[in-house]
Amino acid sequence: MRVPIAVRVALFALVVMGVYTYFANSIPQIESRPPQELSLEGGNVTPAQLVRAGQEIFRTKGTCEVCHRVGQAGARAPDLAGIGARAAQRKPGMSAKQYLIESLLQPNAYVVEGYPPIMPAVDRPPIGLNRSEVWAVVAYLQSLGGTVDVTLNDIPPTVGAGGGATAAAAEVKVPGDPKAGRAVFTGKGGCVACHKAGDIAGAPVGPDLSQIARIQTPEYIMRKILDPKGAGTVAGFPAGVMPQTFGQTLTAREYTDLVAFLLTLK
Amino acid sequence: MNDPRMVCRWGGALLALAALVVLAGVLPAGAQEAAREPAYRAFPVFGSRLAVWAVAQLHLNFAAFILGCPIFAVIIEIIGWRTGDARYDWLAREFVKLTFAAYSTTALLGALLLFLFVGYYPRFWAYMTSIFFPTYWVYALLFFAETFVVYLWYYGWDWLAGARKWIHVGLGVLANLLGTAILFVANAWVTFMVSPGGVDEAGRLVSLWGAINNFTWMPINIHRLLANIVFGGTIAAAYAAFRFLAAASDEERARYDWMGYVGNFVAISAFIVLPFAGYWLGFEIYQFNQTMGITMMGGFMSWLWIVQAILIGVLFLGSNYYLWLGMERIPGAERYRKYMPPMLLVLTVGFIIWATPRTMVLTFEEARAMGGTHHPFLGLFGVMSAKNTVVNLMILTTFLSYVLYRRANKESVKPWAPVGKLVQGVTFAVAAAAVVAIGVLGYYVESGVRVLRLSPLQVLVVLVTIIVVMAIDIPMFRGARSTGAIRWGAIAPRSQYVLILLAVTFTWLMGLMGFARSGIRQHWHVYGVLRDTSPDAVTPALGYAANVITVITVVFFALVMFIFWLGGLGERGKAKAPAPAPALAGGSHPPA
Repeated sequence: MRVPIAVRVALFALVVMGVYTYFANSIPQIESRPPQELSLEGGNVTPAQLVRAGQEIFRTKGTCEVCHRVGQAGARAPDLAGIGARAAQRKPGMSAKQYLIESLLQPNAYVVEGYPPIMPAVDRPPIGLNRSEVWAVVAYLQSLGGTVDVTLNDIPPTVGAGGGATAAAAEVKVPGDPKAGRAVFTGKGGCVACHKAGDIAGAPVGPDLSQIARIQTPEYIMRKILDPKGAGTVAGFPAGVMPQTFGQTLTAREYTDLVAFLLTLK
Repeated sequence: MNDPRMVCRWGGALLALAALVVLAGVLPAGAQEAAREPAYRAFPVFGSRLAVWAVAQLHLNFAAFILGCPIFAVIIEIIGWRTGDARYDWLAREFVKLTFAAYSTTALLGALLLFLFVGYYPRFWAYMTSIFFPTYWVYALLFFAETFVVYLWYYGWDWLAGARKWIHVGLGVLANLLGTAILFVANAWVTFMVSPGGVDEAGRLVSLWGAINNFTWMPINIHRLLANIVFGGTIAAAYAAFRFLAAASDEERARYDWMGYVGNFVAISAFIVLPFAGYWLGFEIYQFNQTMGITMMGGFMSWLWIVQAILIGVLFLGSNYYLWLGMERIPGAERYRKYMPPMLLVLTVGFIIWATPRTMVLTFEEARAMGGTHHPFLGLFGVMSAKNTVVNLMILTTFLSYVLYRRANKESVKPWAPVGKLVQGVTFAVAAAAVVAIGVLGYYVESGVRVLRLSPLQVLVVLVTIIVVMAIDIPMFRGARSTGAIRWGAIAPRSQYVLILLAVTFTWLMGLMGFARSGIRQHWHVYGVLRDTSPDAVTPALGYAANVITVITVVFFALVMFIFWLGGLGERGKAKAPAPAPALAGGSHPPA
């Protein structure tokens, strides 16, 4: 039986594409996942937890490993082994943590000789680390041969406040009343039982929310209220304490008012 | 307009255009609405990303074909007009006919893509509209103008023949200029997503021209323009190959053999310079954002370039093999057979080196046994110096194949021909040695020097070689003595499968590069400005991407075959036109 030309050509094309597809499936499969937001503000974070969080950010959201290695020289950026001790000697009159913070936020202020000035500011998009994350990365870098003494207060409050996605998030208008939301926070919602929020004193069971709108996206805040477990627990705080029932106990109006109030906390 | 096909085609194109214009008109209201609506909606079953991916890639494939094919169609028409050879005029018309058949499908896919964006990515689309709204009108007007001119070009072929041919050629040139302008407008949107410019840190528009003329706009313009020509050429050649294989007579076989040759010749000519445009694009990505460049080449996408190297290697090998098979139907070509084995060796070694990965995913024991993640020997070839060197050598080799093909049945009668050939040979040898020497030097300099100085120098060496050799070749073989006529149609059938291989590979490669261009944005709709917060924000692994690309390519070819079949329906039952007669087997001299 003679196979029609169209069938032969189609089979040939399918075999060719099949080979390419097979090969592409047989090599290492690497996905790129969006980074998770980390919030450590107001938490009782130990230095060890901070360093661990910083190491994770260094490898993932910070994309530091694209150019930097620890214990291995690279052509694009310096080896960071021992940077915790070396940082104090980089610039006269500057402590290790001051130098590291400056290196992350203003990378071109001091460029190590022999390397190109290619490092982006880590608190700007597309990396866009928030204040907690910069804090954790500095702690991790200090731990590489030095002493971890950085505190959240060492990180400028403006870090992570501007640019791209963050700015876009700040522009989101929630159709709620912040004043009414404040009442929900202190009243029906009972949030004050565990959270401090600006001038509202609360028990330190959960994180201090005084700057929550600066360090978190509206999407995260809205999700956290409705699904606290799914949104994750801030490091240093006990998991499973926040009620899962706000979606049922709050009315839609109360919910949007509460979110509108939280978005005023910067 | 009495031709029902014509009415139907006009209707399809105008419908698509009307949809575009109407949508463009309502978009500002839609954008405001979108701010109150969810940022995303979910496309049923497949998900929004996959739906947009598939339709965008299909639209891109068709658009590349209808933009690339007319470029070389008008060049061929001009050759036919100036030489008076009717074969070229017939061929140009045949190519435009293929374009024509795909025109409405391209427009409809574009409209469908727009619907998907508006419906499933409303916040993203509202943002893009806030930046590019004025350009929508430019795009719509250009689209209308191009449609009008292309239809006039195609249907006015006989009407504007003879003394009015210059007007017809002018229409062809105008159609291409309008098509290129459309490409440039659409590229502004796409490249803005990769390397946004003209906006402040909050993403608000500061300068529309800055948004258009962003870092990657012009490199993509040039790269796509060249790639479209290659794509159009390979698809047209594959069409000719199919017709050759299905041909019922020697005359038909000869005609489509020649058509396949011309399509492939145009494709190779543009393909040879395509890597240079690609290099420029990569360079500009690094200039825009080092992190993006490094992520692209050395991060999670690094293995994609190995797959790309294999595909381009196949294109190089296939293109050369086709030329060598074609020489078998040229009397006098036997003289050059001895050059083929060394050329094959260079191409094969180049292929292998280009496809060598820099690092491998290994177990700890395997890495220890090898002495690290970099192989002590093969690791040397997995770097830019080696890869750029072999790519340039492969380009030189392909060019040499073409030079030999061109002179296969010619003997120069110029008295200075021996000196000319010697100079050409020395130029090739010096160029190859220089490319290798620069490549070796690349191992001993810092990356900045390698990227900014040495790689462009290698490119320059190859380009100068092409110019010098052709500057000698053209006068040397002008009025040359023929050793025999090309036996069109007498080529081995497997050569036609090579043409199909090239078309399939290039289409698949376009899909892969589309994935690369979108993938380097990672979890950003507009890099660093508008974040992708949808459930699809994960950039998938290469295997998944390959599966999607294959399905899209299959659908594309199925649609192309269907459209070409539809286009051919009108000819059934009609008397064969006499125009193709000059392309009979045994045509007197090689084209181009």
